[in-house]
Amino acid sequence: MPKGMFVDTTICIGCKACQVACKQWNVLPGEPADFRTDPAEKIPVAVNFTGDSYDNTADLTGTNWRRVRFIEQFPENRAGGRWLISSDSCKHCGDAGCLNACPTGALVRTDLGNVVVRQDVCIGCKYCLPSCPFGVVAFSHQTGTARKCSLCDERIHNGLGTACAKACPTGSIAYGEVADLKKKADARLARLKELGHAKANIYGYREAGGLNVFYLFDDSPSVYGQPEKPVVPQGRLVLSSAVTVAGAIAVGVAALVAFRERGDGESRSEEVEK
Amino acid sequence: MSPEVHAPGWEWYYIGLYFFFGGVSAGAYFIGSLAEFFGGGRHRGISRTAFYIAFPTLLVTPPLLIGDLGQPLRFWHLLFDARSGFPYVNLSSPMSVGSWALVLYGAMALLSFLDNLVAEGVLDAAPFAKLYSRLPRKVYAVVGSAAGFFIAGYTGVLLNVTARPLWALTDPLVGALFIASAGSTGAAAIYLVMKWRQIHPGPELEEFERFDRIVKVLEIALAAAIVIAAGRYAGALFRGPYAVMFWGGAILLGTVVPLASNVYAHRPGRHVRSEPAAVLMACLVLFGGLLLRISLIQAGQL
Repeated sequence: MPKGMFVDTTICIGCKACQVACKQWNVLPGEPADFRTDPAEKIPVAVNFTGDSYDNTADLTGTNWRRVRFIEQFPENRAGGRWLISSDSCKHCGDAGCLNACPTGALVRTDLGNVVVRQDVCIGCKYCLPSCPFGVVAFSHQTGTARKCSLCDERIHNGLGTACAKACPTGSIAYGEVADLKKKADARLARLKELGHAKANIYGYREAGGLNVFYLFDDSPSVYGQPEKPVVPQGRLVLSSAVTVAGAIAVGVAALVAFRERGDGESRSEEVEK
Repeated sequence: MSPEVHAPGWEWYYIGLYFFFGGVSAGAYFIGSLAEFFGGGRHRGISRTAFYIAFPTLLVTPPLLIGDLGQPLRFWHLLFDARSGFPYVNLSSPMSVGSWALVLYGAMALLSFLDNLVAEGVLDAAPFAKLYSRLPRKVYAVVGSAAGFFIAGYTGVLLNVTARPLWALTDPLVGALFIASAGSTGAAAIYLVMKWRQIHPGPELEEFERFDRIVKVLEIALAAAIVIAAGRYAGALFRGPYAVMFWGGAILLGTVVPLASNVYAHRPGRHVRSEPAAVLMACLVLFGGLLLRISLIQAGQL
């Protein structure tokens, strides 16, 4: 029975307890600063530190496996506006691009449906990074491997929930059986629609083969920084290979046209010599 | 498709150079094999030179591939399961299948290379002669050229089958472009080495250049299709250093100028090809092939 998480972003308060719990349980160090010299400032600036948002992680990385996204929609005059807050992590896709792309078998799906990077097997080829349509898997220069949320693999295999869900004070992150969570999500969506949230939607029932970690959004997914139609890239593998084979045949035909024998006796005698 | 899809951070001096050397090696190998198949014995100079190029250029590639890994000492996990030690392949991963293709192609390129050495008397044939009489040259040239085409093309499929916008939108064209480019860079390498070894190709050079013309037209058509397919993500190919590399290096100097020179040299009523010009054009083709790989790999990661 697949386990997963339901993230109800409408009740997230942006406290980042999930980020802290994730770092503590998984023993993740602080994000290494990426210093670059800003031409305007003429001093080195850590470009991966935000400083302009309550979102302090800016991206999912090798050391930040959970990211509380702050979507701060305020007009110039500060009249009105809204906060949208969404705690983001690996979605543990039903059809996982990273898993399909891994050349070593370092990425595996466990019996509980979560997708894990085995750190002792990963060679750090980085091919899973561009293969994840959600931009989740990241490379860690500290370990030389790809790293991401494991759905707290060792916790859930010992009857505990995920660390982030355990720490969440509002119940925005709920851990459990995916089937049970879907019932909960459907009920919550129906309630929000009653209350007039016309754009409310559940993200993850159909995307990428069904996400084991799925979301309730109050606006379209792109507002929350998620792809509207995530494409698992390996779906294109057959067509891409077929066109490449056609290219090979075209070059082969070019060679045939250019090099074919034109029935002169001289070449025959050379072939016999061979 | 999201602009937040992570870039792998592949370095041009590892992956870009690997794509280039792999392409030159594979291109030279399949041209050598095809010239031998279709041309009877007339192209022995071309095929011998091709097999001399294929293996040494391939030898450059494993250090490049392993150097880019975060855990280089674990490179063998690409071929064998880390826990059981059994051979491992993931058929949905171009990188996994490509690793095995490299092994197969490497073996074929080595056989052809040794075969050359025996045939030219550089190597004592005694230990090899029995093996070669059992395994006819054409068998491993067929398997080898198929593997060569695979090596030349899988790198493009590997880029296309990702979620990075530029690579995903240009699907499924990059593999075919890389095969065409492998054909023209392989041909250029063969030409340069033939000059260096002072083998005068004579009349078959004309057939060789005819092949080159067809492949370059294919290359230009595919490159144009790729820019169109990239749509709004083609920006990285129009601005900045990779625009210069792609348009100035890969397309203009690497393809259009050599094609024009080739066509000009073979215009009706003229039969003499200026040799320094041909050498220069071959150098430009190789340079352009390198910049094509680097610009497409790096622009896709911006």
